[in-house]
Amino acid sequence: MTKKALIPALLLLLWSSVVSANRVDERDPATIIEDTTKHLLATLEEHRAEFSDDPTRLQDVVRTDLLPLIDLNYSARLILGKAGRGARPEQLESFSQAMSGVLVNRYADGLLNFRSDEQVQVLPMKGKNSEKLTRVRTRIKLENGGYAPVDYAFHKTEQGWKAFDVTVEGISYVITFRNQISPRVLAEGIDKVTEDIQAGNIKLND
Amino acid sequence: MPSTSRIPFFLLLTLLLGACSGQQTKLTDPERDPWEPYNRKIHAFNMGFDRAIFRPVAKGYDYVMPDAPQRGVRNFFRNLAFPVTLLNSLLQGKMADAFTSTGRFMMNSTIGLLGFFDVATKVGIEEVNEDFGQTLAVWGWKDSRYLVMPVFGPYTVRDFVGRGFYGYFHPVSYAVREHNNYVPLVIDLVTLRAELLPFQADIDAAADPYTLVRDVYLQNREYNIYDGDPPAPDYDALLEEY
Repeated sequence: MTKKALIPALLLLLWSSVVSANRVDERDPATIIEDTTKHLLATLEEHRAEFSDDPTRLQDVVRTDLLPLIDLNYSARLILGKAGRGARPEQLESFSQAMSGVLVNRYADGLLNFRSDEQVQVLPMKGKNSEKLTRVRTRIKLENGGYAPVDYAFHKTEQGWKAFDVTVEGISYVITFRNQISPRVLAEGIDKVTEDIQAGNIKLND
Repeated sequence: MPSTSRIPFFLLLTLLLGACSGQQTKLTDPERDPWEPYNRKIHAFNMGFDRAIFRPVAKGYDYVMPDAPQRGVRNFFRNLAFPVTLLNSLLQGKMADAFTSTGRFMMNSTIGLLGFFDVATKVGIEEVNEDFGQTLAVWGWKDSRYLVMPVFGPYTVRDFVGRGFYGYFHPVSYAVREHNNYVPLVIDLVTLRAELLPFQADIDAAADPYTLVRDVYLQNREYNIYDGDPPAPDYDALLEEY
């Protein structure tokens, strides 16, 4: 891309992100998951060779597709617990951005191992679901014929339903990272931990 | 024999725990892991043991053995857990699971050539995961303290008690007890360790490997107890602390 083309493109990007931030997502959680996985996997199928060569391109796709669906701030507050007490909004913001960066990269890495969209099933809703917590259960078909369950926790915000936790085989992202991250934030301060996550010194593994 | 030696062992454990309780360390999960100082020590010992002995052997095995036979061996051992699965399905009144696991065992032991091939999963008969620890949980022992055992690794008190029964019904333990044959046990452990090798990088990279192992273990137990459908975490409680 030439420099001339870059500036309008950036403006467009900025504009579209402002628009999408204000738009209320009317879809229900199950539809959001279904639409998103479908779109992601279709894109993956189409550009698999390019993505394998350059994983950052897939990361970009995941970022645009997935991040608007996640309530990053809420996730961050759950992970921080009392370690987040007294944190300024901009500190919380950069912390959750750092976390999301790592999350996107890991998600993109995992995605490359997928083959077709038949491998993801969205299961019927079950149990008590409310505006505070609605769980969408999916399962991913594995090579050996078995399944790995992946559940998403949603809550309703002013911008519509947003996800704030992912659970893989019963292991919750929020619960697991809380004990990895919050003691360090208590000990070293939120800015230091945010820097460490950005620098890749703290890996978020799941 | 094992039953008599277990009682003094528990006594010893209690003493050990008592000795640790004087320490004023901050607990990361006081409710489920009140013995954290003791557990951390055993965890450190286990990691050293793993690094020095267990992991090198597993790595060697992983290096010489191609993936397909490796999976075959794991399938074989998983198939052998059938008596434990069946008995615990029955103890929990899960008749459908009892039938499913029997069907799986029969299919895999025959068409699956003694269990080396998991044909049942391939045709859509899903694996049933039941053991004595889960039965105790279903019978009412819901919450149990986290307990790291030397060499054996993560447990809860409940699941360690469950593991004691397990020895009587699992063919691998039977070989050890009745025939003094440790070969199947060693192969089972080494191949299981090899199967877990890919997670090592994650554990090493964790900010606190101890809590990572603990949290993953406890959540996974919960997941199995509730047969894959555990209640959601108490997010409100997490937020209240905020």
